[in-house]
Amino acid sequence: MRHGLVFLSLVASLVATTRLAHADQELPIFDAHMHYSHDAWTVVPPKEVVEILKKAGVKRAMVSSSNNEGTKMLQDVAPGVIVPELRPYRSRGELSTWAKDPTVLPFLEDLLAKRKYVAIGEFHIYGADADLPNMRGVVQLAKKYGLFLHSHSDSDAVARHFQQDPNARVLWAHSGFERPEKVREMLRKYPTLYCDLAFLTSHASNGKVAPGWREAFLEFPDRFVVGTDTFTPERWHYVIEHARWSRQWLSDLPPDVARKIAYENGDRLFGGAQ
Amino acid sequence: MRRRPLTAALLASVLVAAIVAPAAAQAPPDWSEAEIRLVGRHGPWPPPPARDPSNRISGTPAGIALGEHLFNDVRLSGDELMSCATCHQAGRDWSDGRALGKARADLDRRTPSLWNVGYSHWFGWNGAGDSLWSQSIRPILDPREMGGSRERASRLLREDKQLACGYERAFGAKPDGDDERLLVDAAKALAAFQATLVSPRTRFDDFRDALVAGDREAASRYGLAEQRGLQLFIGAGNCNACHLGPRFTNGEFGDIGIAFFVRPGEVDSGRLGGLAALAASPFNLLGRYNDDASGSSALRTQHVRRLHSNFGEFRVPGLRQVGRSVAYMHNGGLATLEDVVRHYSEVSPDRLHSDGVPLVRSLGLSAGQSTDLVAFLRSLDADPPPHPAPPPLCP
Repeated sequence: MRHGLVFLSLVASLVATTRLAHADQELPIFDAHMHYSHDAWTVVPPKEVVEILKKAGVKRAMVSSSNNEGTKMLQDVAPGVIVPELRPYRSRGELSTWAKDPTVLPFLEDLLAKRKYVAIGEFHIYGADADLPNMRGVVQLAKKYGLFLHSHSDSDAVARHFQQDPNARVLWAHSGFERPEKVREMLRKYPTLYCDLAFLTSHASNGKVAPGWREAFLEFPDRFVVGTDTFTPERWHYVIEHARWSRQWLSDLPPDVARKIAYENGDRLFGGAQ
Repeated sequence: MRRRPLTAALLASVLVAAIVAPAAAQAPPDWSEAEIRLVGRHGPWPPPPARDPSNRISGTPAGIALGEHLFNDVRLSGDELMSCATCHQAGRDWSDGRALGKARADLDRRTPSLWNVGYSHWFGWNGAGDSLWSQSIRPILDPREMGGSRERASRLLREDKQLACGYERAFGAKPDGDDERLLVDAAKALAAFQATLVSPRTRFDDFRDALVAGDREAASRYGLAEQRGLQLFIGAGNCNACHLGPRFTNGEFGDIGIAFFVRPGEVDSGRLGGLAALAASPFNLLGRYNDDASGSSALRTQHVRRLHSNFGEFRVPGLRQVGRSVAYMHNGGLATLEDVVRHYSEVSPDRLHSDGVPLVRSLGLSAGQSTDLVAFLRSLDADPPPHPAPPPLCP
């Protein structure tokens, strides 16, 4: 039918993905945006998480949790898979209060003294709030311990991170939900800014990389990583489909670029398991 | 902004009410021009009859009559024990009076009411149907629901004299030997009937019309709590961001922070799964059974895109007759309207992805505000007239 081209191409690409499933499974995934928070622990137990990651072909996952015991629980069962980051939330409810909570920095310092992490985050901060004492303290802790900042923020807040520490390494969650032109502008301006593509769909449709984003990926192939963002327990059951979807659009890029975004960048930036 | 006080017409009732309640709680709301415009968008009611260009018998008396007979015919089901009307009962607001559906098997979702279903553009909690007729095929064939088949449906239309006669009147030809075509035609008749199920006018509609017309006396008959609840609904509550228009729904999908595990290790993926089912269906509007030669009815299906946010999203239900339901949400997880309001009052932002300004946020309602909001929602209810049995198809 003449109006069905786009939709049918979706069907066709799904079929093609199924046919190529075996080959696609060869492309491992470093998932740089996962959470395993308190409400997930019983409904998706650690062993089930590891099984899901295995089925999805996720070779490593950078995980943060509210509270951080969730990350440790996963590390205990899959030390070679879980890359830990330190979240400044003890429960997910602190998402909107942490930036002004005087107990947050001591809490982070205590855990940093006890355990090894590769990043602090994912935290949520916007605009001028990035200059609040807690956020400044987190930037300094990241500097002190040589950690990434995993920042769910707008471009203004990212700029403030770099004002506070020009050498900071920032992983920009969801690439700020920005247009690719803005993302490229930020990447040019800040050489140690990296972008996760979690929860974004604007960069790919029907297995094809969108114009604008393609240019971004080709200009900065070393600066992007993928992520599922398991922000609710149910979303662990989306990991396999998300990995499949990621491989689909990655296959529309040159193979070396696809490998970098799929897992090489994650391995290089965040390393293996701690 | 200029506001229109209703105080003159309400003076007497306010004076009486002030004797038994604090004055502040009884103050009649003023309505600004902007608010009146917003309220006006929830009407008029009823709207013109629904017409579906993808269904060539939509709105035709013969199609509607055939559809109603099929709707009540248990022979469409595999074991001839249930019809569409088993789960969509006229006396239960075209639902089943249960928190979760139960057909040949226990189901994971609440049976939606069919009131005003003809005005939708996506069907089912997950939007797997892009037309009312394609959606009507799903439960017929689903082994957990009616467990029927195309062969059974087509045989029924061919071999039952009344139905065959009704078919010929509706479609202008005798039922032929194409089983799939006849199944689709049966579904189109079912859709033609369901599209006639329009909920009655309500107290809200009287108020809305009076407010828009500037008829203060008529408007004053609407309760104060209902008015305050309505102001909350279109104001601070921002409920009308999704529950908009005369049916109080945008017809789209949302994640409102309701858990969507159906059992350990299994989730209801909602809209995401619906889009996959839609793409796979031979009965979607991009297929050969769409009667709309212009193709315009298929544009929405053509352009719909999957989003990560679709995982766990469910259709935004209309709110007319909402207070008459026995359970709420896609999974029947909330028992009362009060529970629903409490959910929105206390919803945890943890379950909602932070992407710009969230549509759903904890409203932090006071007890009085919650009561007002429930009062307004109940003003969207009305007793429908009895639904008579359909006359014979071909007397």
